[in-house]
Amino acid sequence: MAVNTECPVCGAEIARTNDMVVGELLECPECGSELEVISLEPFEIEEAPQEEEDWGQ
Amino acid sequence: MKVGFLHSLIRKDEKLLLAEFDKMSGVEVMMLDDRKLIFDLEKLHFDVDVIVERCINHSRALHALKLFQTAGVPCVNSYDVALVCGDKLLTSDALQKNGVPQPDVRVAFTEDSALEAIEDMGYPVVMKPAVGSWGRLLSKINDRDAAESILEHKTILGSYHHSIFYIQKYVEKKGRDIRSFVVGDRCIAAIYRTSPHWITNTARGGVATKCEVTGEIYELSVHAARAVGGGVVAIDIFETAEGLQVNEVNYTMEYKNSIETTGVNIPKHIAEYVVRAGRGKV
Repeated sequence: MAVNTECPVCGAEIARTNDMVVGELLECPECGSELEVISLEPFEIEEAPQEEEDWGQ
Repeated sequence: MKVGFLHSLIRKDEKLLLAEFDKMSGVEVMMLDDRKLIFDLEKLHFDVDVIVERCINHSRALHALKLFQTAGVPCVNSYDVALVCGDKLLTSDALQKNGVPQPDVRVAFTEDSALEAIEDMGYPVVMKPAVGSWGRLLSKINDRDAAESILEHKTILGSYHHSIFYIQKYVEKKGRDIRSFVVGDRCIAAIYRTSPHWITNTARGGVATKCEVTGEIYELSVHAARAVGGGVVAIDIFETAEGLQVNEVNYTMEYKNSIETTGVNIPKHIAEYVVRAGRGKV
């Protein structure tokens, strides 16, 4: 059964998929915001952290 | 085999790697979010056989790896490799000591000495933060006016490590460079990164296409990997009139744009290497 939540930025509906994991980075299909999966049960997302100076590879 | 997966955000690269561990029998993955870890230095013990480091912050990766290693857990990559690759000055030093060709590099600590170094090298040069990634805050300096301005800005506006002036001779690379992927003693794949901009990082819009791993690319890549301590690393290579030169070595390599391009399942190679490391066989 589909589980949905709202984009915290624009309110668009975001659907949970079977292969999602906690910490996963998502892009809102409507506003393009970067979002992070905080929890799967219940399904919760937040805005992803902003890029920091020491991010990278 | 219990694999500790050290991470923060799970990007496509991490998901692909997790999927490969999931396919392996006898491998259990324990997720270790660096935002939630607390290390008690009196009781450093971790119930994992090996750590694979996939942090997005260099500083967290570096310090966490140190503590996992102190607790006796083998890490991919090791603390030493992260230390050397995470700092361009240390990388250049390791490459120089091991005879790996690289562009001319000078290091200076003050505006005056940095300007003197740049004038001596000749324009253009590229100034880079010693610690940094994804092509951020790189400055191509074409003349003395620009050099003075950039040096002043970095000195006044930057944090202290922006006053470690790492200056590299600009290499005319005809719109592309090479990114090769090394796992253990093998160079498993390579891509060209092409861009009309002088910064060719795919994070900055560089386009990936397949690059045949020639004998020269293979040898140089493995040589560079060994110079920084081995493990799983990605090598950035310039094609110059004097031959191939190593620009940088990356220790938390990103490969999501390179699997279809090269036809090589890079995360599968990494997962297999991590398991071998956990068994003490690398």
